[in-house]
Amino acid sequence: MTELKVVGKALPRIDGPEKVTGRTVYAADMQLPGMLHAKVLRCPYPHALIKRIDTSKAKAYPGVVAVVTADDLPPADRDPSVRSHAVLVEREAIFEGQAVAAVAAETPYIAEEALDLIEVEYEELPAVLDPEEAIKPDAPPTRRPLDEIDVSEIEGHVTVDISTADDAEAHRRSPNISNRLHFVRGNVEKGFEEADIIVEGRFDSKMAHQAYLEPQACVAHYDATGKLTIWTPTQGQFYQRNEIARILGLPHEKINLVGTEVGGGFGAKVAPLIQPLTALLSMKTGRPVKLVLTRREDLMNSVPAPRGIVEGKIGATKDGRLTTFKARIIFDSGAFPAGTPVGATMMIAACYKFDHLDVEGIEVLTNKCGAGAYRAPGMPEVTFAIEQLVDEVCRQGGFDPIELRKKNVCREGDLMPNGRPWPKIGLYECLEALENSELWRTRHQTKNGGKPRGVGVAIGAWPGGMQPASALVKMNENGTFKVVVGSNDISGVNTSFTMIAAEELGVPMHMVTTVTADTDTAPYGGLAAGSKTLYSGGKSVQAAAQDARRQILAIASRELDANPEDLVIEDGVVFVPGTDKKITFQRIAALTMGFGSRYAPVVGRGGEVIRNQAPGTTAQAVEIELDPETGNVTVTRAAVAQDVGKAINRLSIIGQMEGGVTQCLGMGLTEELIFDERGKMRNPVFLDYRLLTALDVPRIETLIVEVPSPEGPFGARIAGEPSIIAGSAAIANALRDATGLRFYEAPMTPERVLRTLRKAGTAVSHPVVLGEAAL
Amino acid sequence: MLKERVGHATVTIRCVVNGVERTVTTVPNRTALELIREDLALTGAKEGCGTGDCGACTIIVDGRPVNGCLLLAPMLDGKTVLTVEGVARGGKLHPVQQTMVEMGGLQCGFCTPGFVVTAVNFLEHNLNPTEEEVRVAIAGNLCRCTGYSKIVDAILEAAKRMREGEGR
Ligand code: FES
Ligand code: FES
Repeated sequence: MTELKVVGKALPRIDGPEKVTGRTVYAADMQLPGMLHAKVLRCPYPHALIKRIDTSKAKAYPGVVAVVTADDLPPADRDPSVRSHAVLVEREAIFEGQAVAAVAAETPYIAEEALDLIEVEYEELPAVLDPEEAIKPDAPPTRRPLDEIDVSEIEGHVTVDISTADDAEAHRRSPNISNRLHFVRGNVEKGFEEADIIVEGRFDSKMAHQAYLEPQACVAHYDATGKLTIWTPTQGQFYQRNEIARILGLPHEKINLVGTEVGGGFGAKVAPLIQPLTALLSMKTGRPVKLVLTRREDLMNSVPAPRGIVEGKIGATKDGRLTTFKARIIFDSGAFPAGTPVGATMMIAACYKFDHLDVEGIEVLTNKCGAGAYRAPGMPEVTFAIEQLVDEVCRQGGFDPIELRKKNVCREGDLMPNGRPWPKIGLYECLEALENSELWRTRHQTKNGGKPRGVGVAIGAWPGGMQPASALVKMNENGTFKVVVGSNDISGVNTSFTMIAAEELGVPMHMVTTVTADTDTAPYGGLAAGSKTLYSGGKSVQAAAQDARRQILAIASRELDANPEDLVIEDGVVFVPGTDKKITFQRIAALTMGFGSRYAPVVGRGGEVIRNQAPGTTAQAVEIELDPETGNVTVTRAAVAQDVGKAINRLSIIGQMEGGVTQCLGMGLTEELIFDERGKMRNPVFLDYRLLTALDVPRIETLIVEVPSPEGPFGARIAGEPSIIAGSAAIANALRDATGLRFYEAPMTPERVLRTLRKAGTAVSHPVVLGEAAL
Repeated sequence: MLKERVGHATVTIRCVVNGVERTVTTVPNRTALELIREDLALTGAKEGCGTGDCGACTIIVDGRPVNGCLLLAPMLDGKTVLTVEGVARGGKLHPVQQTMVEMGGLQCGFCTPGFVVTAVNFLEHNLNPTEEEVRVAIAGNLCRCTGYSKIVDAILEAAKRMREGEGR
């Protein structure tokens, strides 16, 4: 490979100027002629039957154009076990806040007033809320009739071999279990008999919301020809189009999905949540309809990370070899199955070379909002467990936490729990980088005096996604290029695509721009999720650029009367070295797009199917300071190493790493959806669903590790997800370092920390900040 | 667009927005953010929470940053308002905008207008800030994508460039 000119640099996003001037148009900013505004009536109970709905008064209210209930849904192939397909409650509401009816009116205020005029008679049913209760064979069901739940529904984007153990329990199980996996290797009982150090514990990570800053929003327009156009922020416009077609019974070609700018998604803007309902209202009224969720609705009605409870036990030898691991993982996915347990169950023990392994993952349904994907779904929850167990082995055996991990982590060829060998990964290299980090090297220097301080380490891996993707690279009339893709830009990936194309075409960055076209006009692009957009889509952009390059060289060789092999491209000029034969891209463009041109316009086409994953791995360390009076934990320093294969755009990689770490520090400290004993969400507002602010987040030391993947563009592998995996575990381990105590629940809020300190008798005796009730 | 509940009572609001005098007749129970986004079609300020917790709706009113979602529209009467649309002058980005782009202070961009106006206003009062002061100044603005460091760096760099005479 010749020296790279563009790829590998740290470049600003191409859409930056639009965003800093406030000119970027998000879906909620849109205004169409004749547009109506929608509001949604939501069920106030976590579980209830609808006995009667009367919408007549609302329909008669001046300014109301349509009111819809489930009766208005067109006949279609809807699957009641899939969250997106439950557009409106058909009879039984299964979580608080589920949509019961919706109004389209001339103004949002009229729509909101009309909601009050809809009469609904509910019969409240017992709600199933505790996952460990819900899992019992005699547990009441979260919904009925039971047979309609498709318990095998798995919507993950990871590929696994599921080796389900054939045990007796499987034959008698709770109606609420929606998925179960079991991985076995060796003989764990024997493993524990032979172990010198055995550590166990029960860990509990609560439901966390993606909390993107832009609430869910959609504009839909169903026109007189039966064409439905939808503008919405999405992480998968083709996926959403196909789902909406199925949900509303429309043919694909009658739907055009225009992905608008995404104000943060993190997994929550993959599946259509409000789009089918908005479209239904437009179909009813024949007018454009806008639906924007309030933050309260958004927190109550999206697809958060599930709660994960892990009972784990780990065995090691006295020379520091991790040999045995047994775990039972329970994911509380809320009212709808999610893909989460698949990846997480497979990955919980995947970083280490255990001889003996027995991991069972169970997904259970409860009457809460249905969980979905949140950045490396399931991984922060299971990592919170295993990385604390490993840390405890280090503490008890007197091992250095990085040394022990270096000794035990998997490398290429070691087996994953599903029995497949790991491809090339950089986990060991991440540990080496962390060991050399400023934070780790100076960790003892800050440990003196004042409040208790501690440093904790944790690691993690995400297997990565893959998908077919395609791209076009078109030459414009002035010799510049347009890259056209069908994937949505949620992470600055269009800037990276631009860099890849510029590199391949031999032109400076400013001669290329990338655009995500709508589903009517874009070549197919997969989900911008699972960290695969650059890995798969980047490869297709590369192929399309190479195709365009070949076409350019063919034209140039005829124009210059030279062999294509003798031609060199540099800065948008094709020339034969050592001669004065040269032709500019501009001239070539003129020769292909003018009247009477001799050549066809240059359009490069690239389509790629990568069939091997390029896992991403990470190692993190945090330093914390504990206020023993208040239980408040402050993260004073953080370092994250991540193997990205090849950093196409360093600025974007560092940005993603810093963002991911910030999110997992939030998961570790403050972020939790809280439900009361009746199943009602207690904190659907940003005052109480507490995100970290600039004052809560330290500077994060980012260490980019580059162990190239064999297939990704320029060796790039997945990048978006690994950084969120290990933070909450690292905080718990740092707290152990600071206090000698284990913290089993995440987030580690001041209340929980104080409770643990008090139990151990180490809290100061006069806590004044919190009421006794909270403790 | 009118909020119906108060019947037909209307108020007329006169204010200077981004240097231009504007007059709007509306009902009195709308928020300043609604007035700016819907009646003045300045959609740069965003509604991220509607409850004063995220800062995406930040606008500068009479020289102070406020949450547009918490302010009633009539409270803008007689006031001078700066929104993100008024920050760049004559097609040239403000140093804060320039450094935010250059240094990766933005990702999805939804929080960005709020950060830009907060930072521009902050630097008008303190052109020689410490990192801690910058963090305090932006603590009312949530960002979910960046982890804040790049935003802080951008503001510090903008301050430096402005001290060296760039910008206004
Ligand atoms: S929208 Fe005003 S503070 Fe969030
Ligand atoms: S850049 Fe997305 S919220 Fe700040």
